Amino acid sequence: MRVPLSWLRDYVDVDVSPEALAERLTLLGMEVQGIEHRGADWQRIVVGELLTVEPHPGSDHLLVTTVRTSPQEPVLTVLTGASNVAAGQHVPVAVPGAVLPGGRRIEVTRMAGRESQGMLCSGDELGLTTDADGILILPADAPVGVAMTDLFGDVVLDIDVKPNRGDALSLIGLAREVAAATGARVRWPEIVLGESEPPTESHVSVEVEDAVLCPRFVARYVGGVRVGPSSLRVQARLTAAGVRPVSNVVDASNYVMLELGKPTHTFDADRITDGRIVVRLARPGERLETLDHVLRDLTPETLLIADSAGPLSIAGVMGGASSEVGAATTAVVIESAVFDPVTIRRAAHHHALRSEASLRFEKGQESRLARIGANRVAQLIQAWAGGQIAAGCADTNPVEPEPSRLPFRPWRVSSLLGADVPVAEMRALLQRVEVQTEPAGRGDVVPVAAGFPGVVLGAADAARALVAIVPPHRRDLEIEADVTEEVARVMGYDRVPGRLPETPMPEYRPDPRRTVDAARDALAGRGLDEVVTHALVGPVDHERLGMPADDPATIRVTNPLSIDHSQVRRSLLPGLVRVLVENERQRRSDVSLFEVGHVHRLVDGVPAERPMLGVLLGGDQSGAAWNQAARPADLWEVRGLVMALCARVGAAPPSAARPDSFGPFEHPGRTAVLHVEVDGGACELGRAFELHPSYLEAVEARSGHVAVALLDLDVLQSAIPAVRRYVPFPRVPAVERDLAIVVGDGTLAGDVDRVIRESTAPLLRGLRLFDVYAGAPLAPGERSLAFRLTLQAAERTLTDEEIDATVARVVDALAARLGARIRS
Amino acid sequence: MDLDTLSARLSTLEQAGLDAIRAASSPEALEAVQVAYLGRRGELKTVLGGIGALPAPDRPQVGAIGNAVREALEAALEIRRRELQTAALDARLARETVDVTLPGRPFRSGSLHPLIETNREIARIFGQFGFVVYEGPEVESDARNFQALNIPPDHPARDLWDTLYVDVPGYLLRTHTSPGQIHVMQQTAPPIRALLPGRCFRYEAVDASHGFEFFQVEGLMVDEGTTMADLRGLLDAFAQAMFGRGRPTRFRPGYYPFTEPSVAFDVQCVVCNGVGCPSCKRTGWMTILGAGMVHPVVLRNGGLDPERYQGFAFGLGTDRIAILRYGIDDIRMFLENDLRFLEQFS
Ligand SMILES: [Zn+2]
Repeated sequence: MRVPLSWLRDYVDVDVSPEALAERLTLLGMEVQGIEHRGADWQRIVVGELLTVEPHPGSDHLLVTTVRTSPQEPVLTVLTGASNVAAGQHVPVAVPGAVLPGGRRIEVTRMAGRESQGMLCSGDELGLTTDADGILILPADAPVGVAMTDLFGDVVLDIDVKPNRGDALSLIGLAREVAAATGARVRWPEIVLGESEPPTESHVSVEVEDAVLCPRFVARYVGGVRVGPSSLRVQARLTAAGVRPVSNVVDASNYVMLELGKPTHTFDADRITDGRIVVRLARPGERLETLDHVLRDLTPETLLIADSAGPLSIAGVMGGASSEVGAATTAVVIESAVFDPVTIRRAAHHHALRSEASLRFEKGQESRLARIGANRVAQLIQAWAGGQIAAGCADTNPVEPEPSRLPFRPWRVSSLLGADVPVAEMRALLQRVEVQTEPAGRGDVVPVAAGFPGVVLGAADAARALVAIVPPHRRDLEIEADVTEEVARVMGYDRVPGRLPETPMPEYRPDPRRTVDAARDALAGRGLDEVVTHALVGPVDHERLGMPADDPATIRVTNPLSIDHSQVRRSLLPGLVRVLVENERQRRSDVSLFEVGHVHRLVDGVPAERPMLGVLLGGDQSGAAWNQAARPADLWEVRGLVMALCARVGAAPPSAARPDSFGPFEHPGRTAVLHVEVDGGACELGRAFELHPSYLEAVEARSGHVAVALLDLDVLQSAIPAVRRYVPFPRVPAVERDLAIVVGDGTLAGDVDRVIRESTAPLLRGLRLFDVYAGAPLAPGERSLAFRLTLQAAERTLTDEEIDATVARVVDALAARLGARIRS
Repeated sequence: MDLDTLSARLSTLEQAGLDAIRAASSPEALEAVQVAYLGRRGELKTVLGGIGALPAPDRPQVGAIGNAVREALEAALEIRRRELQTAALDARLARETVDVTLPGRPFRSGSLHPLIETNREIARIFGQFGFVVYEGPEVESDARNFQALNIPPDHPARDLWDTLYVDVPGYLLRTHTSPGQIHVMQQTAPPIRALLPGRCFRYEAVDASHGFEFFQVEGLMVDEGTTMADLRGLLDAFAQAMFGRGRPTRFRPGYYPFTEPSVAFDVQCVVCNGVGCPSCKRTGWMTILGAGMVHPVVLRNGGLDPERYQGFAFGLGTDRIAILRYGIDDIRMFLENDLRFLEQFS
């Protein structure tokens, strides 16, 4: 809320600097987010008196004026394009050398052949009012020659009023806070009405259909008004507070909203059929043209102010055009009501019409203010627009609620804060926010958690407990902890000491990030850069992965900021690829990335997310240099990385197999599915692959080969044995045998590997593929796979016979199961 | 053959051998000299073969001379061998000399993302005080993100979070890590000291200080007798660890529906040290996080009795901490992943 200090001073004395006041309000919970010095940027703009105003002989839209800005200085000749000026008026004059808000300099200029020695200013040019069409006409008593800053400068505090403090969305509410901070007294405006017969009830009646939706409705009638602009002082105050001045009647309503926090509405009384107002929900098919001249369909949840002819306004949100107060209005009906906050909030959201008024209604309204607000608006209308206030008012619920009683235990206040606050001090602190206290009685109930049963005080506790008498404007004080906060914020949080907890430590809990962090360290240690990409991606990202835009397993954002971020990612791949492409545009050809993040999908209609690790390699992987050749990003590179990180986190290396099917982004000849052993069974860890050339083209990647691994971190975690045991290694020498095995088309290295392992157990200690060869003299399609077998028995040296027999067994098995032969 | 003749021949042989040894310019040549003079069919053997023609009394004298010649040659051989070895080594070292100012082999140094590393640092600091890490989902239920946190539907406080909703009824993208409080309380009995890092989402236009995806860390401590003084002490310790010893801090009132009382935790501006600058809006303070005592309704929703247990919670923005820690002026850098940015965190 924007608070002009000159206005605030109507209700409370402020004898400290704006900066000091801002600091104290902030420390009280009314955070001052900005201090605006209005008028500080009006340089050499003074009050001038127009001596003459005449048409410009050479122009049909310019006027030539002469202005006196001081008895000593010569009279200035100033040209203006505005038409609202007349001799004798006092106006703001920017004399040569002046600077306007925004830095615009005013110098002597020539217009249509005549010299202009400065400029007459509009209210808008000074930021003082919002009128940009005419010159700002100052009050006749504005002293000539005085700087405008001295007359109309002000300081405006921008205060962030929290949602629970609707009462402080007003000058009077913030005056109460200033008083709490400084000990000053709050001055309410004096509301005295001169009323006239006939009474209000002869002009207007009010019927409320559902008192839950409208607990109170107060109406008043003011006849004989003359609608026109408000005084400059009122306009300047409203403008400084961020509300656009409209007319004296509408301004009176807005002024009271800012002053008391009470939104009201004014109707042209002659447009209310028979003077009969009904507060009701909209009926099917009803429509209303609102003040902004939009014809709106009204839903049956919309609360209306209506007459027998139909809707007049959307309650608490916006008035209707048909009953708008305008220049021809001579009598007004003032509405000052309390509405159900949720109903108003929904209507404002539904019609996208959130206003200063609806914002205040949403936070709940003090019943008492309905009557006070109606009276205050009537008073100001009469003062500003003349007319007669009809005697009395229509009031659907003329009962003023009692202050509420809130029993609390001072020792619990101290124990929550961890600071001993003496009871007497506590009572004094509460008094500063208009909360009186009295002794509690046996059986009083302390509200601990709203919506749950409270604590009934026994005799002993009752003797030490207090009851806070909560004033009606503090609807946010409901439970004991609320009292604690009032005590703390008025006392000042510097009284809460800092100390480290002495309560027992929690049980040990393994860090769920341990494996992830080990994997991250391993990959960064191998030269990869960690990235964090958006969890929200576009439909095209998923379509490229083979998931249609309307895929039933995809979770979509219903109110996305843009189509590019409208779906929750199902894979880390699109984000990684985007980083690759963006960096390729920066001429990088050595990209190696990884990301740890969640991927999402719907399983049986319920969101399911899994932590994944994505690795992407594009371009040179070695860091080519004068002494090192470039190494391409390929399947082997990424598989090697996966093996290294598995070893680092303590999992066995995954096995690779050719998958049964491929995504459209996977190179069908260069995709492996990776399995790890979990509880004795094979579990899919993820996939390692090179990107399909068509995919690379679609995403406009420059790299010809990009290798990727996408791993499920939960599977990786479960593949790590709970305990790692040392295995004794044999002290007897091992024997190595090399076998070059020729296989035909379709036989995979993994198949050969498996057959060797199965036919040599338990003597095999190591197995390493050290060469792959194809070409003459082998037949086309044949490959020679050279393996080195390391054979060893646990406790003795193998004999030549045993070794030969083992090798023979391998050769036979390879021949029998894979049709392989040994290359001699 | 007489003694003098034989002696003269041995003397000549010795001189010739020593000359040959000195002339040998490689280990192989030296080896040949050794064979030629001292080998089984070498010169020395040949000359000494004439010893049988001498009278018996002369023989020991000739034998002694022969041994002396052998020893002289062997000594010379050894010296020459060392000389040649040293020369060979020197030659090798000279041959292998390189331009040592050429750059080393480029092992690539990877990097860890500043946001995730900041989360890890935060967890490390609070870990010293017994806080352990928990995790919660990114796609969260409205019930936990709002309702269990004392924010009913249509509550004005919902305006504090501009929410991104999803097409699954009852779910949304979590707007803060605070629903983690409910997860933890429902699965763990006090004493609780929990830390919940995670990615959050808001309907927010992107600029230098806002993004629609960002990271937070939630802290929660619940036990009998946990107080706001405990909160203050821990946050002070955190601020000292993160921003250096002796940096002033303060609590000021704040507002969250799920804490009561609620506070904002300010640290003296790290840019101007409290003098006032644009970074701190001339207040001299920077707000690091929001915190407060867990609202009794939230304790209830977490299954705990507020008459028995008290607790505090705090939520800090990882992005904000990282910005202050590294002097980054644009939050968008974090998700742009420009390698020129990332490589600075290796
Ligand atoms: Zn600063």
